[in-house]
Amino acid sequence: PAGHRHGETLLPTIGRFLGEQNIRRSRIAGIVVGTGPGAFTGLRVGLATAKTLAASLGLPIVGVSTAEALLAAAVDAPSGDAAVGRPVLLMPAGPADRIEVRPGASPRLLPDGTEPALESGETLVALDLVDRAPPAALERGERAWAGFAAALVRLGVERLIRGEADDVARLVPEYVTLPRGVSATDGTVAWSRDPR
Amino acid sequence: MSGPLLLSIESSCDETGIALVEGRRIRANVVASQVALHAATGGIVPEVAARAHLRWILPVFDEAWNDGGVDWADLDGIAVTYGPGLAGSLLVGINVAKTLAWVHDKPLVGVNHLEGHVYAAWLLDAEEDERPEPDFPLVALVVSGGHTFLVEMTDHLAYRLLGETVDDAAGEAFDKVGRLLGLDYPGGPAIMRAAEGATRRDVAFPRAWMGDSYDFSFSGLKTAARRAAEKARRDAGLGDDEVLPTATVAELAHGFQESVVDVLAAKTIRAADETGARSIVVGG
Ligand SMILES: [Zn+2]
Repeated sequence: PAGHRHGETLLPTIGRFLGEQNIRRSRIAGIVVGTGPGAFTGLRVGLATAKTLAASLGLPIVGVSTAEALLAAAVDAPSGDAAVGRPVLLMPAGPADRIEVRPGASPRLLPDGTEPALESGETLVALDLVDRAPPAALERGERAWAGFAAALVRLGVERLIRGEADDVARLVPEYVTLPRGVSATDGTVAWSRDPR
Repeated sequence: MSGPLLLSIESSCDETGIALVEGRRIRANVVASQVALHAATGGIVPEVAARAHLRWILPVFDEAWNDGGVDWADLDGIAVTYGPGLAGSLLVGINVAKTLAWVHDKPLVGVNHLEGHVYAAWLLDAEEDERPEPDFPLVALVVSGGHTFLVEMTDHLAYRLLGETVDDAAGEAFDKVGRLLGLDYPGGPAIMRAAEGATRRDVAFPRAWMGDSYDFSFSGLKTAARRAAEKARRDAGLGDDEVLPTATVAELAHGFQESVVDVLAAKTIRAADETGARSIVVGG
């Protein structure tokens, strides 16, 4: 949500967590970071911090799709109603649009007014969409969120163990949408040792 | 005496810059510029800028760190631009700086981007000969893509704002007029190059003196440039999307540049006279 505040709380939270768990930095074996989709500012705070931690501590880093981890957590979550079945994740993309994500598939943009089309056996799991998704889907979303961090770490550690670390310099968020009026955001960036 | 060794990080706009500075001496300075990335849209799209910062900041850091050949143990602190600038871009540099400071247990100092422009005048390039520092009191003119202002400094970190732009920054005016004349982005260097080719130098643009104040205004000049371009088009019998002849572009670029520089220079010199400044600093 409020991305700027992440920037003020993230490192102190990491420091406090390590202190409470009595874990020395030298014992950390790798960094796992959620790459979105999500709010761009929050994602950039997370990625900038995680990338710099990995680079300066000399640790491998893996980016895990936030949607993938949420879907895994939705399956694992103890469900109040019947089993979740095949979850379809619904998340905000800006103030009006939404995205839907199925396990193993790329996120799909649902422009304002477009409803997700569910197949039989699929259940909607909605996050950060108060008043913009059915209450039952939001409830499932809350239960999935409770298991999100554990799922993120589990997926990340699996990839770390398989030796699938990411390139720390190239790792960037999963942005899903392009800024308005822009057709590409990667392109030539000129380098210079002496800008004059 | 070489002074403290600082790592400094800047990401407030469309350039990711990381430098190592020892006292006044720049030991390494690496800049990744996004100019080519923003050329397609004719200006900076903040979200595009923020994405590029995050993509390039670690490679820029690695290169600067290797160039500087310093040891973390010898580093006295980390400085980072905290503003003003594009929020999404600033956050990238700030979070990288915070994390480096946390990992290596170094003091972190947030620096105002505009003070950075002023203090660049104190720095010495890697190979540059020693030269005296600017004397106080002084007058500093900062002209950049986003800012145009005049400030008096009676001592280090003691500023009195004399005047600033009331509308566009000079850099923005150059960008907009550059686009008007069909020149490349950014407009500053493109207009300068075009103006060098001017053979007739009699196209005069208005000067916005703003009375006795030290404020600047460039929006009227921008309108005058648009009218002059339109008139040149009509005179040559050209349509709205036809390219102006090179000679006409050169002439207009020259007239526009003269007008901006004339006002900037005159106000700066008058400010130095009236405040009894012992030196003038120009940044941007
Ligand atoms: Zn600047």
